[in-house]
Amino acid sequence: MNKTLLFAILLFSVFNLKAQDAALAPDQNPRYKESLDKYVASKDELQKTNNTTVQDTYKAYDWYQAKMDRRQDRINYRRQMNLYRRNNYYPYDNYYNGYDHYRNNNYRYNNRGNNNRHYNYQPGCSSPFGNWFYWFW
Amino acid sequence: MKSIFTLSFFSAFLLLASCSRNVTRIDPAETPDIAGTWNNTDSRLTAEQMISDALTADWLSNHVQAKTKKPVVIVGMVTNKSHEHIEAETFMKDLERSFITTSKVGLVQSGKKREELRAEKADQQTNASASTMKKFGLENGADYILQGSINSIVDAHKRKKTVTYQVDLELTNIQTNEVVWIGDKKIAKYVKN
Repeated sequence: MNKTLLFAILLFSVFNLKAQDAALAPDQNPRYKESLDKYVASKDELQKTNNTTVQDTYKAYDWYQAKMDRRQDRINYRRQMNLYRRNNYYPYDNYYNGYDHYRNNNYRYNNRGNNNRHYNYQPGCSSPFGNWFYWFW
Repeated sequence: MKSIFTLSFFSAFLLLASCSRNVTRIDPAETPDIAGTWNNTDSRLTAEQMISDALTADWLSNHVQAKTKKPVVIVGMVTNKSHEHIEAETFMKDLERSFITTSKVGLVQSGKKREELRAEKADQQTNASASTMKKFGLENGADYILQGSINSIVDAHKRKKTVTYQVDLELTNIQTNEVVWIGDKKIAKYVKN
């Protein structure tokens, strides 16, 4: 009885192995299923960019364009300063792009001294006449 | 008095006319270079080069000889690694259209359009009549995948600039991973501001 059972199990194993071999294409890697399982799980994510252009651009340095950008920055800066002058609006909180306002812009230097008596540019100074302290300077 | 009025009226008319926008229709095949960036002409030249290369290269005859049927291609991803925003679809569509119009290469849908097709098929499973319902699992499998990249080199000093674009398309056998064709197009420009 035991011998018959053992023979049957052996026969089943041999047939099973044969069946697996038959499923493989000639010269196919027998471990192909490991890779298959890995890629079937992530195929949707991997195929998301099919038939599209993935924009992986870089910023090229262009001397002339950089010059134009610096010029535009200066214009924007002056515009913001004018706004500040009119509305006592202080622009520094959300403006900095690498341009040295103090060194390259004469605005600050041209508006020191007596000008401060009548119009003060200090942030947080809500008086339309500036800081009252400078009235007695 | 009347003459002054007429003169001022015509002056105002001329001033307004000079400020209005003027649009002229041009031939898409003769788009002029304006800013020096990637434009329609570059896309067209790339498409023409790729089409002539792809349809005359050996991979096509080799495939037909080995399989006795035309190859089926799926379009994969194109990566734009240049310094400008370039949409590859403009020249990729020209290439795809040439595959179909010449009937030398079969094309299967990919990406979002394929997802839409499958969604439609799924919808038909419950809504279409049994005789017109399309079945799952009967799509054509592609033999090759078409992938590509766009690169650029910029050399600029003061008001002078040279830009070189290189567009590469690769056709790879999906079964064997063998690259069977590489098409490339180089475009160089000299820009003086």
